[in-house]
Amino acid sequence: MSAVALPPFWSLIERHGDELLAHARRMTDEQTAEDVLQDALLRALRAYPRLRHADHLRAWLYRVTTTTALDVHRTRRREVVTDEPPVPAVEAEYDDGAFESLIAPLAATARNALRLRFVEDLDYDRIAVELGTSPEAARQRVSTAVRTLRERVTT
Amino acid sequence: MTPLSDAFLDRLASAAVREGLADAVYTTLSTPIGPLVLVQGSRGVLRIAFEGEPLDRTLARVATGVGPRIVQSDRELAATRDTLSRYLEGDDDRLDLPVDLSLVRGPFRRAVLETLHDEVHRGEVVTYGALARQAGNPRAVRAVGTACATNPIPIVVPCHRVLPASGRLGAYGGGPERKRVLLALEGVRTR
Repeated sequence: MSAVALPPFWSLIERHGDELLAHARRMTDEQTAEDVLQDALLRALRAYPRLRHADHLRAWLYRVTTTTALDVHRTRRREVVTDEPPVPAVEAEYDDGAFESLIAPLAATARNALRLRFVEDLDYDRIAVELGTSPEAARQRVSTAVRTLRERVTT
Repeated sequence: MTPLSDAFLDRLASAAVREGLADAVYTTLSTPIGPLVLVQGSRGVLRIAFEGEPLDRTLARVATGVGPRIVQSDRELAATRDTLSRYLEGDDDRLDLPVDLSLVRGPFRRAVLETLHDEVHRGEVVTYGALARQAGNPRAVRAVGTACATNPIPIVVPCHRVLPASGRLGAYGGGPERKRVLLALEGVRTR
């Protein structure tokens, strides 16, 4: 039993499942997206009782889905390039450090946009205020950063 | 945005159960006494809720009691659903379902409900006073009433078989009409 009052896991899936699937599609492709999300939600379930607070659960699920998608890409690449050392299993599920190391290679502006979206869980209006841009430009910056992240691991 | 497909959700819930990641599984079913919410853990039925109690409140309480990893699956609970449906439809006399009294607070309440489940069989009735004696504390008649009123697993833990000494129907968490129907199902007529 957890110390904090976490909502029943299924209520999170009912609320955010469709947008997480859309996110998994953006991170991978139509065919892999469901497998990635399945895997991500099982990881999330494994870590769920160990969460220290019940804040920003949606952003947390986005992070778990993001890292899972990238792990899938890495694993596939490893299957082709056999001399690459295996990546240690990422305990991304409840540790923000994994997300940080994931986005570390990106430019500061891209990292900042991703953090505001997937760690701070801000909507685009708030992100726009933080970045001093229009909401549309904020959305653009997050979406470009997601695409860059995806390209880094797929190519 | 496309909603997640039922097939996807089924697969996810079953994988969660298989990997031991689910604290509880829930399902809803329609029965002659109205829609029911059924929640089951690895050791047995944890909770049955009648219509009228909001689902999210029911599940939030289960989460507080046994853990927040709650998933929905008709498939994983198929056997329990079937047993419960057949019983309430009157197709089967037996309701042999394991129960898990983790959501019951306090040792005496637990003793009352255990006694009720183990010793008061189909077609029998018991008074609050007699049940207090059977549970080991003859003076705790009111506490027996509370134990029944807060019974998390009605129907399976048969608090509908507990009647006032007057022989009248008495109170029931699911309302007196459901109590009457449940008793009639096992051949007990009430005033």
